[in-house]
Amino acid sequence: MSELIVFLVAFPLLVSGVLLLVTKGTVRNAIVVVACGVVAAASLVTVFAFGNGDAVFFGLPGGLTPGHAILVMEVAIALFVVVISLRNGRIMAPIMALAQLGIALYLDLGGHLPEPDPQRLFWFDRLTMVMVLVIGIIGPLICVHALGYMRDYQRSNPQIGGRRTSFFFLLFLFLAAMFGLVVSNDLPMLHVFWEITTLCSFLLIGYTRTKETVGYAFNALNMNLLGGLGFSVAILLLAGQPGGLDLARLTTGPAAATLLPAIALLALAGITKSAQMPFSSWLLGAMYAPSPTSALLHSSTMVKAGVFLLLRLSPAMAGSGVGTLVAFVGLLTFLFVSLVAVTEQNTKKVLAYSTIGSLGLITGCAGIGTPELLWVGVMIVIFHAVAKALLFLVVGTLENRLYTKDMENFDTLLSRMPRVSVLALTGIAGMFIAPFGIVVAKWTAIRAFLEVPGFAGASFLIIMAFGSSLTIFYWGKLLIKVLSMRSIEPYERSIEARVTRYEWFAEIALAVGVIGVAACLGLISDHVVGPYAVAAFSAAPRVFLHLDPAMVVVMLVAVLFLPALALWSARRSSYDEADFYTSGRTANAGHLMGAALGGTRTVTLRNYYLDGVVNGALVFRTGTLVCGAVLLAAGLVALAVAR
Amino acid sequence: MSPFAWGLVFVVVAPLFGGLLAGADRIVSARMQGRVGPPLLQPFYDVGKLFQKEARQVNPVVEPLLLGHLGFMAAAGGMAIGGTDLIFTAFVFALAALCLVLAAGSVNSPYSFAGAERELVVLLASEPFFILMLAAICKVTGESTFAGVLASPVLVAPQLPGVMLAFLFVATIKLRKSPFDISTSHHPHQELVSGLTSDMSGRLLAYVELAHWYESALLCAFVLLFFNWSVPLGLLAFAIAYGLEVLVDNSTSRAKWQLVLRSTWAVTLLLTGGNVLALFLVGR
Amino acid sequence: MSLFKRSPWILHYDGSSCNGCDIEVLACLTPLYDVERFGVVNTGNPKHADILLVTGSVNERNIEIITNLYRQMPSPKVVVAVGACACSGGIFARAYNIQGGIDQVVPVDVYVPGCAARPESIIDGVVQGIAALEQKRRRTA
Repeated sequence: MSELIVFLVAFPLLVSGVLLLVTKGTVRNAIVVVACGVVAAASLVTVFAFGNGDAVFFGLPGGLTPGHAILVMEVAIALFVVVISLRNGRIMAPIMALAQLGIALYLDLGGHLPEPDPQRLFWFDRLTMVMVLVIGIIGPLICVHALGYMRDYQRSNPQIGGRRTSFFFLLFLFLAAMFGLVVSNDLPMLHVFWEITTLCSFLLIGYTRTKETVGYAFNALNMNLLGGLGFSVAILLLAGQPGGLDLARLTTGPAAATLLPAIALLALAGITKSAQMPFSSWLLGAMYAPSPTSALLHSSTMVKAGVFLLLRLSPAMAGSGVGTLVAFVGLLTFLFVSLVAVTEQNTKKVLAYSTIGSLGLITGCAGIGTPELLWVGVMIVIFHAVAKALLFLVVGTLENRLYTKDMENFDTLLSRMPRVSVLALTGIAGMFIAPFGIVVAKWTAIRAFLEVPGFAGASFLIIMAFGSSLTIFYWGKLLIKVLSMRSIEPYERSIEARVTRYEWFAEIALAVGVIGVAACLGLISDHVVGPYAVAAFSAAPRVFLHLDPAMVVVMLVAVLFLPALALWSARRSSYDEADFYTSGRTANAGHLMGAALGGTRTVTLRNYYLDGVVNGALVFRTGTLVCGAVLLAAGLVALAVAR
Repeated sequence: MSPFAWGLVFVVVAPLFGGLLAGADRIVSARMQGRVGPPLLQPFYDVGKLFQKEARQVNPVVEPLLLGHLGFMAAAGGMAIGGTDLIFTAFVFALAALCLVLAAGSVNSPYSFAGAERELVVLLASEPFFILMLAAICKVTGESTFAGVLASPVLVAPQLPGVMLAFLFVATIKLRKSPFDISTSHHPHQELVSGLTSDMSGRLLAYVELAHWYESALLCAFVLLFFNWSVPLGLLAFAIAYGLEVLVDNSTSRAKWQLVLRSTWAVTLLLTGGNVLALFLVGR
Repeated sequence: MSLFKRSPWILHYDGSSCNGCDIEVLACLTPLYDVERFGVVNTGNPKHADILLVTGSVNERNIEIITNLYRQMPSPKVVVAVGACACSGGIFARAYNIQGGIDQVVPVDVYVPGCAARPESIIDGVVQGIAALEQKRRRTA
């Protein structure tokens, strides 16, 4: 087992190093494709080796301990941050990086760092299994997609130049760090992998090196370093406790009062990494990076690291004021970003807001801390990872082909790009219609919130009701655009033909994944997520999924309905699409309408963005303030209780 | 009889109930306007006639989406009565409404598209309420199915006054009554343009009408949930509520969509949210 | 059993009318005549309508409109020309912009004379139109 884990971490690392040296495009493509296959296979093998049992703990082969290697990595990370920040004239980041380094130095060289148990360096349980599959299968698919996407991206952005080597180097480094993150049981080791992901996201966001993206990249760096610093301080606080740095031991049950500040700080790290308010702006800034970056960061890796840590902390936070306040942060974030998403026209931003919202739901579930809600959280992780990756990749493809991100320009997609429409519809259905996916999770969450007492329970219910309705609104708008049809010119047919086979492969694989995961809902719940939730709380086994046959039939129909509709309608060509009503005026398929005095007007159909009712910027600022206040309250509560 | 059988009964009987209700609606409206009004069975004649008319296909996706709308609406009602978890049926209900939005939105006509967007706004306005209402009813009785709530010894209505008042407000939207009929016009309003349904003809329009009947029947079922100790009382309450809706319909003019959204959300937050909060703070 | 006679839906279009006939048409909907008793509904949409009720005559501007509306009505459909202007152009028949009655652009099934046509005549015309509708339906069924 430990050999497999080492392979999972070391192999992508090796590949990334190799990719740094390769400059020839075809060689790079070959290496990436093969490496992706190997990573995916290795993930599957690892999962098979684990079987489906309870948690396993193991160490490095030969009983090695990381020892001072961790300190060396911390030094390297801090040095890198300092150098690059000073070169760009930023001081917040170096300050935080040096503070982290200071803590690491103090602990390690000052002898305050206890030796980790060599046999408990790595922790592999069902949640780890889920995460390994998400990283190991979706990650490579995104890398493969990037091969096709980046080629076109480079063509339309010639000023980027030949930095594709560093792009793929970063993607594989990212994968390595993520694998390391999800299997680590030793907190200092986890912290190293955590900060490596921070650096990777910084470099990927700033990929285009424009003044704007550099600003966004540093924003991301600052926020994530803040979380990392919180992580370091938590390590400092826990170093003195027996078994304090063993994540599994720390989270077997509700944390002792003295440990709550450390738990709160770890939760802070999770919150910053998963872009919950008040730290959401970095994820939105990341939208300016090329689409594979967004997909990677926002569905399968980076942000999942944040909620992964929060899910691990769930038993420790359960029942405490800290947990409840963390849940509020998550659910309020969900509400606020869903409200902002309704006013947004840029499709990638809508996807980003949707991601932050889904992560908010997971955060809420983790904070409250019951087996049912832990089940909901993990389910959302699974479904969201697949569906959102698909959507980001599809939007990336659309962006490359149609040169637009504005959802107003995605209309009549069913006619212009029928096959891509099928994929887009599968992704959107997976996000919110497919009751198999997010809806089952939301439904279970609502039922679980009914059991949460007092003001908290009522608030969570109300937030959920409003938040879900808002998600229907913005997804509905996108669906309306995709589903409209008109007759197309011959030259328009060639647009879809230019989608590369890498993009087709990745997107179709993910679409199959969405349907597959939906179809296997029962299996996943009974054999993986259910047992995990029960084990995490050492609770009595129970049924999580209460499905009756009617529900199953309805859900099956619902999830397949839209994609099937798209497939079928693409073949129909005999209809008079100009037959629509325009007060008797003659309209034609080119959206031209006869107007007064013999003139013509173009028919423009624009979605509602609730102008005048919802001010997106104001809502975002309000959310940031409110959640910031709640977060502060969580910290204060932790300190007060620990006293 | 098992709940499942009741569910099937609902699927068969609801259109009849909805049609008769629609007929009564038109007669009462006509009398309010000093007219005589059509025969009670008029809605059935209308739907029957629509099936005999040609259905113009403006694009191929409209008909399947409308069938989806009808199917999911019937399913939502059938499942709610037939023993499925009530909160889950709220999601199926929302899905049904979404299918109508997509059917109208896929047409490139300005009127149809505007109707679809406004219907989406209406969905946004009313959906939070239904989720909260069903969650509140489940919380009060500790049951999660229709039959369970009806059999529960706990009386729902006295504990949920805020929710019931809000229901009257939101039902105006779902029943397509002025001032909240912003997406399409309905009898007895003789409108110039039908919004949502402007490009639906023949059997397509019939599907929308049938789905509306299922919706009315489902709303009646929700009222029965409030008066869970006595079905006749529940039916009477629904009749009175519906009568009030018709009165409001005839005496108000249409509101702007911004007002609909704001007012419905305010009512949901204050009346329903407040009621739910009270439940959580006071209850078990 | 045909239901068209139980539920005839009307689309009312005003060509170049002085609105005299239009007011009489609307009067049919008022409590005094109340055509909703017969299931008649004044829809605003060609796609919902069975009977196209036209007042006023055809001029250069509305040829296109009338033909589009007629074309967008699903079958079976009938056209009822209400008032002298719709039947033949009325007193405006020789004006420079008037093409004549609406039978210049669409096939008319029922002519209701009058200036303005009385509600009783209009209702009678609609009833005749329904009979024509039935005939058409039987022919195409």
